[in-house]
Amino acid sequence: MSGFLDVAGLHKSYGAINAVCGVSFSLEPGQILGVIGPNGSGKTTLFNSILGQIRPTAGRVSLCGEDVTGMAPLKLTRRGVGRTFQTLQVFVKLSVRDNLIAAAQEFRGSLAGRLFARPDAGLGEQADRMIEMFRLRQVAALPAGSLSYGQQKLIDIAMAFMATPRLVLLDEPCAGVNPGLVEQLHDLLLELNRTQGGSFVVIEHNMDFVMKLCPRVICMVEGRILAEGSPGEVQSDSAVLDAYLGN
Amino acid sequence: MNHAAKSGTPLRNLVRVAALLSVLVAFALLPLSLKSYGVYLCTLFCVYLMVIYGLNLTVGYAGQMSLGQAAFFGIGAYIAATMLKTGAPFYAVLLLATLACFVIGLVLGFPALRVQHHYLAFTTLGFNVLAFLVMRNEEKLTGGTYGISGIPRPSLFGWSMDGALPFFWFTLFHTVALIAALWWLLRSPWGRAFAALRDNPIRAESLGINITAYTLLAFAIGAACAGFGGVFFAALVQFIEPAPFHLSASLMMLLSVIVGGSGRFFGPVLGTVMIVLLPEWLRFMQNWYLGAFGVAVVALMIWLPGGILSINERLRIGRGTR
Repeated sequence: MSGFLDVAGLHKSYGAINAVCGVSFSLEPGQILGVIGPNGSGKTTLFNSILGQIRPTAGRVSLCGEDVTGMAPLKLTRRGVGRTFQTLQVFVKLSVRDNLIAAAQEFRGSLAGRLFARPDAGLGEQADRMIEMFRLRQVAALPAGSLSYGQQKLIDIAMAFMATPRLVLLDEPCAGVNPGLVEQLHDLLLELNRTQGGSFVVIEHNMDFVMKLCPRVICMVEGRILAEGSPGEVQSDSAVLDAYLGN
Repeated sequence: MNHAAKSGTPLRNLVRVAALLSVLVAFALLPLSLKSYGVYLCTLFCVYLMVIYGLNLTVGYAGQMSLGQAAFFGIGAYIAATMLKTGAPFYAVLLLATLACFVIGLVLGFPALRVQHHYLAFTTLGFNVLAFLVMRNEEKLTGGTYGISGIPRPSLFGWSMDGALPFFWFTLFHTVALIAALWWLLRSPWGRAFAALRDNPIRAESLGINITAYTLLAFAIGAACAGFGGVFFAALVQFIEPAPFHLSASLMMLLSVIVGGSGRFFGPVLGTVMIVLLPEWLRFMQNWYLGAFGVAVVALMIWLPGGILSINERLRIGRGTR
């Protein structure tokens, strides 16, 4: 494999339990890959193993040919990798605008340089553009923690894109989100993919969302890839149907 | 951005700055009408402000628990006492004491990379106990329980600070300078990174925020402020012994951060009023003072867990639920 992101034979076990078992896939620049599977199938463990949040037991993760297996999240972030989490992860006491600026300010200059930088680290305009794009203008000055779940979800996702990452891993972006917002998220992600040109890997249980957003989908069951292909191919795969419907 | 809010901001800021300057000028002139003990209390208030502003950065803004602030205060004071007695220039002593506390704070920050919350509280508590034991038992270095006396006050360009009033203004000037420096630091991207570290360290790291560096810096800067204040304390009281640097002092400092409003810029002002001036105002209560103080703190923590400065939010929530 020689893609933008290459995952080869990734394995993560906790004692006798194999959470991820020999997962391999490749991602091209600008591509959107969907990862589906029942609860406990190892999707989030796969994400955490790719992102260095946990060290894989075996296997290799490469980014643009560089071996980044088990690399600390901080170093990986500096190589242009962003993520969202399954649960909401915003800075509750910071304003929406400050949340967005915080998401990208560390990529501007050195640590000492940032002490003497402008308060908005030169990211004010970019944050305002993101605020407009995500329709958060009315709440931009409010603390993120005071907003509704849906609004915090939008902030959470907007933060992942503030630093214009090359690769974003989105863990259940539609979880707990109303149908109207799911539509909005779909459009936003497509627009970000078009304007920023990054590659996305999306874990999601909302099948309509995944099938519409992702040209390529993998289905995981019990830590393994059960099926891989276009949304239509995966949807019609009998093994996938068995895994979901318990046949 | 809301245009109405945008156009109102400069005027509001101007009013705020004018109000702040008025309070500052009034406070600077207040000792002119006070006896020497009153001037001493005002100076002590300034000294504690420096220390508690530093702790507010560590605890309130960066979310790191610390029960060792009094130890840094003491380290700064002992360095000052020892060096000022040898005739070292005041600003050299100030720089050295601040730097020494910065470095020790940096080292004390390392446990915070592994433990959090009450575990970190006990780690820093252990440090305070250790520092206190050194101050009490290492007589050759610190004078032990007899302390160090005859600490000279500085003179600046031939201008002696021996008098209570000149030393008050001298201390007030440095307190304002330190607070202004902290305000500038907290407005910079560092301040936002500290808040991100406090609110959600996992998310902060995933966004490239170097949580190791910012955790260590939060401890180091907070400790440096305490050391800075310690130098002025030594010069103020002109005699130091270990008691003011006991663990109980660290607890009072932490309490003052929380009571004022942890992570609120002017919280330390109210917190310092509580630990320095309130005991004086409650003197008429004699033996009932501590009881009244305890009841007031308990009541405050129940009604205003976010500190005195959270009263607006508390009232807003109260109106909203009615």
